[in-house]
Amino acid sequence: MLDLFTYDFMHRSLLAAAMVGGLCSVIGVFVVLRGLAFVGAGTSHAAFAGVALGYLIGWPPLFLAIVFGLATVWTTGWVEERGRMKLDVSIGILYTTTMALAILFIGLMKNYNPEVYGYLFGSVLSVTDDELLVIGGLAILVLGLILLFSKELYFIAFDQEMAEASGVPARLMFFLLLTLVALTVVVSLKTVGAILVFAMILIPASTAYQLTHSLKTLTLYSMAIGVTTSVGGVIISAMWDLPSGPAIVLLATALFFCAVFLSPKRMNRSSPAHSH
Amino acid sequence: MSVSARIAGRIADAVLIDRQEPIIRFEHASFGFPGVMALQDISLTIHDGEFVGVIGPNGSGKTTLCRAVLGLMAPIEGHLHIFDCACEALRCHHRAKIGYLPQKGVVDRNFPVTVLETVMMGRYGALGLFRRPDAKDRKIAIDALAHVSMDGHQDTALGHLSGGQQQRVFIARALAQQPKVLLLDEPTTGLDITTQHNVIELVQQLHEELKLTVLLITHDINMIRSRVDRLVLLKTKLYAAAPPAEVLKPEILREVYGKDLVITEKDLVIVEDYHHHH
Repeated sequence: MLDLFTYDFMHRSLLAAAMVGGLCSVIGVFVVLRGLAFVGAGTSHAAFAGVALGYLIGWPPLFLAIVFGLATVWTTGWVEERGRMKLDVSIGILYTTTMALAILFIGLMKNYNPEVYGYLFGSVLSVTDDELLVIGGLAILVLGLILLFSKELYFIAFDQEMAEASGVPARLMFFLLLTLVALTVVVSLKTVGAILVFAMILIPASTAYQLTHSLKTLTLYSMAIGVTTSVGGVIISAMWDLPSGPAIVLLATALFFCAVFLSPKRMNRSSPAHSH
Repeated sequence: MSVSARIAGRIADAVLIDRQEPIIRFEHASFGFPGVMALQDISLTIHDGEFVGVIGPNGSGKTTLCRAVLGLMAPIEGHLHIFDCACEALRCHHRAKIGYLPQKGVVDRNFPVTVLETVMMGRYGALGLFRRPDAKDRKIAIDALAHVSMDGHQDTALGHLSGGQQQRVFIARALAQQPKVLLLDEPTTGLDITTQHNVIELVQQLHEELKLTVLLITHDINMIRSRVDRLVLLKTKLYAAAPPAEVLKPEILREVYGKDLVITEKDLVIVEDYHHHH
C-alpha cells in the first residue's frame, strides 16, 4: 500500500483533495449558518451546464462554469433581496433549468465525451498539474477573502438584519458570500464533481455544528473534518480502486452520523441554563 | 419632597430638555409606497437624553418608524435628519451610533455562538471593513456585559440562556456599539411578566446611568407609562407626542384604538393585544 504514495498522480490528488476539502468546509460554515444549503446545490448544477457548453463550443470549461455559477447565485440573491419569490422556489427553478441546459448541450455534442462526465462525478486521481494550479490559485483567493471579511461574514450569517442595522455593509457581504460559494463550487468540480461537491460544503460544517457552541471553534473543526475526510477518501479510493467522489462523501457522511450520536448538544438537551 | 420642590424639579427638567440638542428630526415625513402609506406626515423631534415610548395598535407603523431611524428606509415625502445626517439617500453613516434591539424570537438553542462572540459583533459596524477587533474592543464588550449583569457568562452558548438572559445579551451587543441612542423594538415579546419588568427596568437603568437616549417601541402601555419622558402615539399618523399624562386620556386613546380600549376603575389603560385574537 505504501507504494501508492510514491506515484506523482497520488501526490497531486492528495494535494487537490486537501485544498478542496479545506475550502469547501470553510465556506460551508457560512452556507449552513446563513441557510443557503439549497443555493449550493443549485450552483453546482449551473456550473456543470457551463462545463457542458464549454466542451460544445470549444471554450475553456472552467471559465464558463464560473460564468454560469455566478449568474445563478447573483440572480438568486437578487430575487431574495427583492422578496419577489421564496428562495427555495427561485433556486429550484434555476437548478432544473440549468440541468436541462446541461443535458441539452451534451445532447448537441457530435461525439461522446468522457471528460464531461468527469466533471459530473469527479475524478481527483486524474488531476493534472495545470488543474492543480487553478485549484490552488482560486483556493487562496477564496480563503483570503473569507479571512479578510470574516467578521462581517459571521455577522450576516448570524443575523443579516442586525448586521445591516449596526452599520455593516450587509448586502454587499451577502453577495460576496454568494460569489465565494460559486467560486468554491467551480474549484471543486474536477475533484468531487457537480453532483457531490455540495456534500463537501454541507457535511463537514454540519458535523462540526454538532460538536461546539462557538463560531471560531466551529470553523476550525469544520476545516479539520473537511481536510481529513477528503484526504482519507482519496486514500480509500486508491487502495480499493473505488471512485474517489463517493469515497470522500461517504466517509464524511459516516463521520457526520458519529457526531450526531456522540454530540454534546444531545447530551445536554435536558439541562438548560437557569433563568434569572 | 415638598410640592414646590417637585414643581421646581419639573421645571428644571423641562429647561434641560429644552436645551438638549435635537438628534432625530422628522419634518412632515411620509414612509411607504404611494397609495400604501405606512407612516404619513410625521413631524417629531427627539432630543438627546430623552426616554421616549412609541405606542400604537398593530400595523400602525411602529416598525416602519424603527427602520426609518436606522436609515434603512428613506422618506418618500418630507425630511428626516438623524444626528447631522439627512436620510434621503440612505447612505447613512450614523447606524453604528444607534444600538438596535430587533424584535425577535429566542435563538435556536443549538446555534453555535457564544455570549462574548455575540456581543463582539456590536463592535463590527463601528470598526468598519478590514479592521480586526483587538483587546480594546474585547474590553468594551465585557464592560457591556457587566452593564446588563451578564458578566461571567461570556463563554456560555447563547442558545443555552433563557429568553430574558438572551435579551440582556442582545442589549449588551447594542451597548458595545457605544451608541448615543438605544432603539428597542418590542423588547418584551415572548418573555414572562417578571422578566418583562426586569428588562424594562434594565433599559431605564441604562438610560439613567449611561445618559442614553432611548426609543422604546411597545404595545404594552402599562409597562412603560411611569418610566418614559414622552409617549409617541402612532396610527399611520402621529396622534400625540407628549408626557404620558397628556397622552393617556380616554378621548385620545379611543380615537386610535377604538373598541379595543378598556379602562378599568383604577384608571389603568389596557389595550387588548391583537396577537391573541387572530
